[in-house]
Amino acid sequence: MLVLTRKINEDIKIGTEITIKILSISENQVKIGIDAPRNVQIYRNEVFEKVKESTIEASRASIQKEADLFKYKIQKVK
Amino acid sequence: MKINTHQFGEIEFTAEKIINFENGLFGFEFLKKYLFIKPDDSFFYWLNSIENPDIAFPMFGLRAIDDQFPQEDNFEAFGIVTLNSNPLNITLNLKAPVYINQNDKSGFQKIVDTDNYPVNYKLFSE
Repeated sequence: MLVLTRKINEDIKIGTEITIKILSISENQVKIGIDAPRNVQIYRNEVFEKVKESTIEASRASIQKEADLFKYKIQKVK
Repeated sequence: MKINTHQFGEIEFTAEKIINFENGLFGFEFLKKYLFIKPDDSFFYWLNSIENPDIAFPMFGLRAIDDQFPQEDNFEAFGIVTLNSNPLNITLNLKAPVYINQNDKSGFQKIVDTDNYPVNYKLFSE
């Protein structure tokens, strides 16, 4: 892993299109600003891991037989 | 072309039916080609991998339950469903919707990183 030291308001370029800037630092938190093209997806890694697990679980569960679902109500998002 | 699927047996299809996921799905980045089908005996749409026909995902159109759900131009948003023997425990992933364009046959998945869209939204009630 490449390790760089940066101060507040200094930034890092990844390729020509992505810029990562250190905005503020407190005891155990860093605020980071990211500029990237719209097609680059940026996630917090723990959210990404959760989504990945859920997708793998859905694939495993997909072999189950489906009950008669038409007699249930579909819950709308409020 | 033909694939032999776990859920639906043999499926015959033509090249123009293939939906291309350039980046795959999260956790399945290596699978890029899918069929999007609506089997008569299922409540759901299904996304069935062509490259690994045993991998399939039930899908549910998100417009039907949330007219505010983030849209993408020319794409329809679906959530991946996790089946359960108890329908009340069937969940829908609202956090990582799958967007499908049935005209140009492309699709992608993205993360909607806001608290009001969970990965395990309960789809059914009695």
